[in-house]
Amino acid sequence: MGTAFQIRDLRFRYPSSAGDTIKGISFDVREGEIFGLLGPSGAGKSTTQKILVRLLENYQGSISYFGQDLRAMGHSYYEEIGVGFEMPVHFTKLTALENMEFFAGFYRSRADIQELMERVGLWEYRDRKVGEFSKGMKVRLNFVRAMLNSPRVLFLDEVTNGLDPANARIIKDMIAEYRDRGGTVFLSTHLMNDVEQLCDRVAFCVDGQLVETSTPRDLKLKYGRREVKVEYRENGALASAVFPLDGIGFNQEFQNLLQNREVETIHSGETSMEEIFIIVTGVKLNGQAE
Amino acid sequence: MGKLNRLVKGELLRLVRYKILPVSLATAVLWIGLFLFMSAEEAWKIAPLVIFVDVAGMSILLLGASHHLEKQDGTIRTMMVLPVPLGQILTAKALASMVLALESAVVTSAALFFIHGVTFNYAALLFFVAIAGAAHAAIGFVLSLRSRDFTSLIGIFTAYILLYTLPSLLFSVGAIPAKYEWLLLLSPSHAASHLINSAVLGKYQAGMAAAACVYLVLLAGALFKFAVYPQFKDHAARG
Repeated sequence: MGTAFQIRDLRFRYPSSAGDTIKGISFDVREGEIFGLLGPSGAGKSTTQKILVRLLENYQGSISYFGQDLRAMGHSYYEEIGVGFEMPVHFTKLTALENMEFFAGFYRSRADIQELMERVGLWEYRDRKVGEFSKGMKVRLNFVRAMLNSPRVLFLDEVTNGLDPANARIIKDMIAEYRDRGGTVFLSTHLMNDVEQLCDRVAFCVDGQLVETSTPRDLKLKYGRREVKVEYRENGALASAVFPLDGIGFNQEFQNLLQNREVETIHSGETSMEEIFIIVTGVKLNGQAE
Repeated sequence: MGKLNRLVKGELLRLVRYKILPVSLATAVLWIGLFLFMSAEEAWKIAPLVIFVDVAGMSILLLGASHHLEKQDGTIRTMMVLPVPLGQILTAKALASMVLALESAVVTSAALFFIHGVTFNYAALLFFVAIAGAAHAAIGFVLSLRSRDFTSLIGIFTAYILLYTLPSLLFSVGAIPAKYEWLLLLSPSHAASHLINSAVLGKYQAGMAAAACVYLVLLAGALFKFAVYPQFKDHAARG
């Protein structure tokens, strides 16, 4: 597997802005992985994604796409990537199928629209105008739109935002299957459930800089507490005890508790991605500074 | 060309679905209704004004409406990530806008012929309307891209009318002496009005008509290249 994107010292300033929005970030996105770019609102996630999909051009630094300079690539670049925007991006007075057929017609490689729409549960609504769709249906149609050209790299922005758990699960399954077939995914999100369930590696973006890049597992080990918490019943009341994870197999007190008490739950002290997000970015998920 | 064709077909389909083409047609039919109550000479003299209003006014408003509906739908961004050059996307939009202008010229010409038997140089009219339509499509884009929403477009459009179209109307009623017409040609509205008048009334001033054509073509090219193209891309990026 190669490197899909190699980003080095990327800097970007909006013309109306006094300072850089992106302040010299460097990272790689490997082929066949789901790479998550996380961060609070205004951190530079969307700007980075817009640069990578070439909606923004006047950046400094270098970006290579499978070894080619992104700046030198023509419109054929869009034959290879699929972009799923967070907000709906469809003609509301056209039906869902008309929208999909219109966009699909521009690509050399075309996925099976019916199969995609069936999978996300929209095929039976294909002749309905998109303006009559619910928010969740529009989000699912956005995903179909991104997959229309069987892309080599998929950019997804808050891909499950606004979806019920069942439909979010379907989309996440499709993303994981796409990755398993060799596809590369660049995911920007603040939904930590998506990150935990999907991402192979994540980078945290804060104020235009990357402050941490790692795998979710390594982050959990790094920021988690190496301990085990046991909840049990004692004289009918709920009690709990915490034991160090190191040497747990030889911890007599722990083993006594397991053998002699009515244990209700056992949890390791590994932390959630949500907690890691707050620790790393210093920002709560609702956008408030810690 | 295949992709441009697809883009143009898409634009035309949307002009119908968003009720922009039907509204334009309804306006043209309204004018035809007025022709029924006029003499042949009255209808013939007012026809250039009817076509001019649609080419230089309605087409800007309808293009603005289309732009703001697409902005509301968020489709500009998704169009920008298609494997199609931005130039083709803008060309398709300009061609669709010109269809609105040509449709008005065709309907008005047909009405004059079938109601009053008036004929004129249709080829010249279509040629001039295409040129004027392209320039006013570019102007429509500039005004749309500079406006926040359709309501603010109306405000900017009104200012444009006062600045560029009103002098032309004052000229047509004799309030501005004929010797100033060359100066008036700097107004795209007047250049368009001069060309349409020439074709429908059959009174050509070769030098002035040529100057108006060259000016409108250069204006359209300059606006598309230096104003519409970069601003459209900027709008797409900002979403």
